[in-house]
Amino acid sequence: MTELTLTHFLVLGAFLFCCGVMCITIKRNAIGILMGVELILNSANINFVAFARFSPTFQLEGQIFALMVIVLAAGEAAVALAIILNFYNNHATVDVDRAEDLKG
Amino acid sequence: MTLPLVLFFVIATATALSALAVVCTRNIVRSAVWLLFTLIGVSLNYFLLGAEFLGAAQLIIYVGGTMVLVVFGVMLTAQGPFLQLKIKHVEWAVAGTIAVGLFALLVYTSLQFGQPSENEETVQVSTLGMAFMGAAEATPRAAVTGYPEGMTPPPRTRMGYLLPFEIVSVHLLVVLIGAAYLARAKRRRATPQAAEETS
Amino acid sequence: MIVSLIEWLYSQAMWFSHTPGRYYVLATLLPVTAFLLLLLGGGIRSLVRPLRRTEPSARFLYYLLGGDRPLRAGAYFATVAIALSALLAIVGLINYLDEYSAQLQSPTPTYYARWAENTTWASIGPTAGEHQLPAVQLKLGYRIDHLTAILFAMVTVISTCIFLFSLGYMRDETEETVTDHEVHLPDHTHLQRRGRYGRFFLFLSLFCFSMLNLLIADNLFQVFISWELVGVCSYFLIGFYYERHSASTAANKAFIVNRIGDAGFLIGLAIVWSYFGTFNFLEIQGKLRCPDSDAHRKGVPVQLAGTILRGERMADQPRLVQLTSTGSLAVLIPDHFHAGPLEKGIIDSPDPLERNSQFAVMPYWLLIVAGLGIFLGCAGKSAQVPLQTWLPDAMEGPTPVSALIHAATMVAAGVYLVGRVYPLFTPEVLLVIAYVGAITLFIAASIALVQHDIKRVLAYSTVSQLGYMMLSLGVGGWTPGLLHLLTHAFFKALLFLAAGAVIFGLHHQQDLRKMGGLSRKMPITAFTMLIGVLAIVGTPFFSGWYSKDQIIGQALGFGLTYPKHLLLAILPIVGAGLTGFYMFRLWLLVFTGTPRDAHAYEHAHESPWVMTLPLCVLAIFSLGIAWGPQFWSPEGSYVGQLIEKSEPDAVVLGFGKVIHAAHEHHLLAGGLALAAALVGVSIALAAYSLRRFDIARWQAALPGVHRFLERKWYFDELYNVLLVRSTVMLAFALSRFDKRTAAPGDADAADRRVDPSSLDGAFSAVGLLMHRAGLRLREVQSGLLRRYVLVLILTTVVMFAILSILIA
Repeated sequence: MTELTLTHFLVLGAFLFCCGVMCITIKRNAIGILMGVELILNSANINFVAFARFSPTFQLEGQIFALMVIVLAAGEAAVALAIILNFYNNHATVDVDRAEDLKG
Repeated sequence: MTLPLVLFFVIATATALSALAVVCTRNIVRSAVWLLFTLIGVSLNYFLLGAEFLGAAQLIIYVGGTMVLVVFGVMLTAQGPFLQLKIKHVEWAVAGTIAVGLFALLVYTSLQFGQPSENEETVQVSTLGMAFMGAAEATPRAAVTGYPEGMTPPPRTRMGYLLPFEIVSVHLLVVLIGAAYLARAKRRRATPQAAEETS
Repeated sequence: MIVSLIEWLYSQAMWFSHTPGRYYVLATLLPVTAFLLLLLGGGIRSLVRPLRRTEPSARFLYYLLGGDRPLRAGAYFATVAIALSALLAIVGLINYLDEYSAQLQSPTPTYYARWAENTTWASIGPTAGEHQLPAVQLKLGYRIDHLTAILFAMVTVISTCIFLFSLGYMRDETEETVTDHEVHLPDHTHLQRRGRYGRFFLFLSLFCFSMLNLLIADNLFQVFISWELVGVCSYFLIGFYYERHSASTAANKAFIVNRIGDAGFLIGLAIVWSYFGTFNFLEIQGKLRCPDSDAHRKGVPVQLAGTILRGERMADQPRLVQLTSTGSLAVLIPDHFHAGPLEKGIIDSPDPLERNSQFAVMPYWLLIVAGLGIFLGCAGKSAQVPLQTWLPDAMEGPTPVSALIHAATMVAAGVYLVGRVYPLFTPEVLLVIAYVGAITLFIAASIALVQHDIKRVLAYSTVSQLGYMMLSLGVGGWTPGLLHLLTHAFFKALLFLAAGAVIFGLHHQQDLRKMGGLSRKMPITAFTMLIGVLAIVGTPFFSGWYSKDQIIGQALGFGLTYPKHLLLAILPIVGAGLTGFYMFRLWLLVFTGTPRDAHAYEHAHESPWVMTLPLCVLAIFSLGIAWGPQFWSPEGSYVGQLIEKSEPDAVVLGFGKVIHAAHEHHLLAGGLALAAALVGVSIALAAYSLRRFDIARWQAALPGVHRFLERKWYFDELYNVLLVRSTVMLAFALSRFDKRTAAPGDADAADRRVDPSSLDGAFSAVGLLMHRAGLRLREVQSGLLRRYVLVLILTTVVMFAILSILIA
């Protein structure tokens, strides 16, 4: 603990990840779920960049990958919001508990 | 107590608390704001890790783009006074258990990595740019893990990340078109029903 | 083109003349074509019947095939077919005898090959190698010898007569609507139904085919197939008037009692198959009975020839079998063997068995069981005690059926089979056969004394005569027994047909107590029936005398040779007396005296020519079938001498002393038989014709005896109590397995409840539980997004845990 090391960042990433998981599981609002997904993606990014910093092997690759993830996450957020808007148009609500038309 | 460590603790605490607040807030707009703060905190983490370009990109894309998108979404799907969607305590307990378990597991795994020191030099933005152009030497100076002992790895050739770059560009175009199509204005048959509900 | 046609015809004729035995195959197949045509016609007609009002093509077919009335063309075709078979049979017989007598002068080895063929129907396993037999090999084939040729001609001629008779007798069935006076419907009317003319000839043709197949078969398997087929036809024909409860019950009874016999038959077949590996009669005889000489023409010790070799395994050398006369093992003889070991009395018989190249052994008691099993089948088919109960009830069928099936042919199949597999029977089994025959003949004759239904008397008479045949076969009288089969067929068919003519003339009146004096109204019937009665009683120079006399002679010889079994000699003589009495009682009650029912007498009439012509033909046969060049002597029968040529050597070699004694005392036997018959006949004449004494007083004096005889020695009641009731109770108990306790009218609810107490419920329960499990599993896919996400994350966590903790 005397020095800033990989473990610190990994723990932070883990915490963000668990918050994202909680968010996805708990939120009834569809946009809340989307926020959880963003949290997860960001936690993964932190892991990537931390490994890029602290490991001699993945110096460049970590950051490149993190950049890719940011871009793709943005795209995915756009599509997800389009879906949510469609869902809202059809059901007049964003409560995902009402989305049980496909039940078996 | 070196400066990086102190800085880290401050920034990390802020980020973590914001993330927790995202989860626990019931109001969706407040949740969005807390997410905003979390993303800013993550960006600061990037700066701390020496990835300046990435930190800047995070700020621009996430904070400036994605959060706007999220807030737009919240506003477009509003139903009068914002509904407080209630969640049962049982569900909190179950999700909390899973999350705590996962956290413990991840921390345990993280501790297995030991405490390596950081690299001497940080990656320059120019190196990143050259890599995306396909001109960087992306080889590590150390041996690649995975080869058995006594065997020298073959010399690695220069490689770049031009192809992923292009793919991501095309992907963005596709996403743009797709999202525009999905969210186009259609004949709204659900609106009278929505008007009845919220009154 | 004409030339090629002639060539084709010539090649067809050559096909027959190359192996003349094929004439017999053709004669067997003719009735089955009639059967198939009738089946097709009747089947198509009943298929199109529902459509006849709407579809024009259906209407056309329907009226083409007879319309509402049964088409008589099918019956005519069947009669023509069987007449052709009879013609072929007679031609074949003449051909055969011709060739045989020629063969005696200049023997050709291919003689028997021209009259026998076989083909493999099914086989499993390799057939290569001369000593290798496949594991299973079922063959079909035919073999004509003297016995077959004569019996074939007999069956076809009698069948033709009966077909002709039925054309007239079953005339009622050609009507569109037939009223059955013996079936009472709940609203007190009689049943009205459609005529069933075609059905009668359908099954009669099938029966003829099966019976002929049985006669020409050369192996037990084919005999068994025909056995079952004749049983089935008998079932259908007895149950011809199936709406009558008595008829359908009688049909069931006949089939079931026959089946009991067939169970024994199957046991016998199984034993024969396991040890002999073949069903062929000749091969069985070759394996079991020691031949005169071995494969190298060296003679076998004379005391062993023709007998079943018995022995014991030697204690010190288990490979060797010592031949003794009372051993517990029977020796099976391979195809190629040496006589040397037989002379020494010790043969080598290792295990495992190589059937065709080395001596094999089988337990002797199993051989006895096999013989008894096959005899049980024959007893069932020929209505011997204890399986005789079905034959009198079988009189529910139309009279031509009784004549053909239950007098002349089917019941004769049992006796025929005993004659054919005679080499298989050990002396113990033959003794059992003799006793069963003797007991049967006595019991049946005693019951026939007091019956008052004309057909019942004849039925019991049939059972009694079959007992004679079995007795004869059991005491070594092979030829007399089969000769009696032949003569009995003719005169019993005649008697039944005459009874049918009487019934027909009296408009279906069968009770003896309501007949009398009919000889004035039906002279031809009376005269022909008298010939039949004289033949069955054993009047000298009638056909029955030749066979019966020899039987009694043989039985007497047996009784004198083995005084322990003197009963076997006494019973047939007593039976002859009883036969004389009840047959003459029958004839006198029907045709003489004053009519006891004036109404019936008034309307009585002689039958048309289709019915009296067969009577005359059969009367001629009953009179003279057994005549020969020396017709004053019982052994002088020509047909008898022909049958004797088919006699297996085992008879003479096994019963030599008995035959000698029979020859010595044959005059005594003849005298005793004639005396007994005369006694019986004179008592009948005195009681019924001359009115010297009153039978009714005898009946009143011995009511117990009378009732005992009238109730058929209480056999039916005994079987009912012992077997039928217990079986029915067991069936009810077992059916509770399948009864479900559902509320009445609530069948669906019972389906949905899990009820493993019944078998059906148990099976349904499995399905029901599966259904419920499925319903529960369905709830996993709830459609709730958050639950899906939760499960997803949980899975991921678990996988990660496994990866990081357990593996890393």
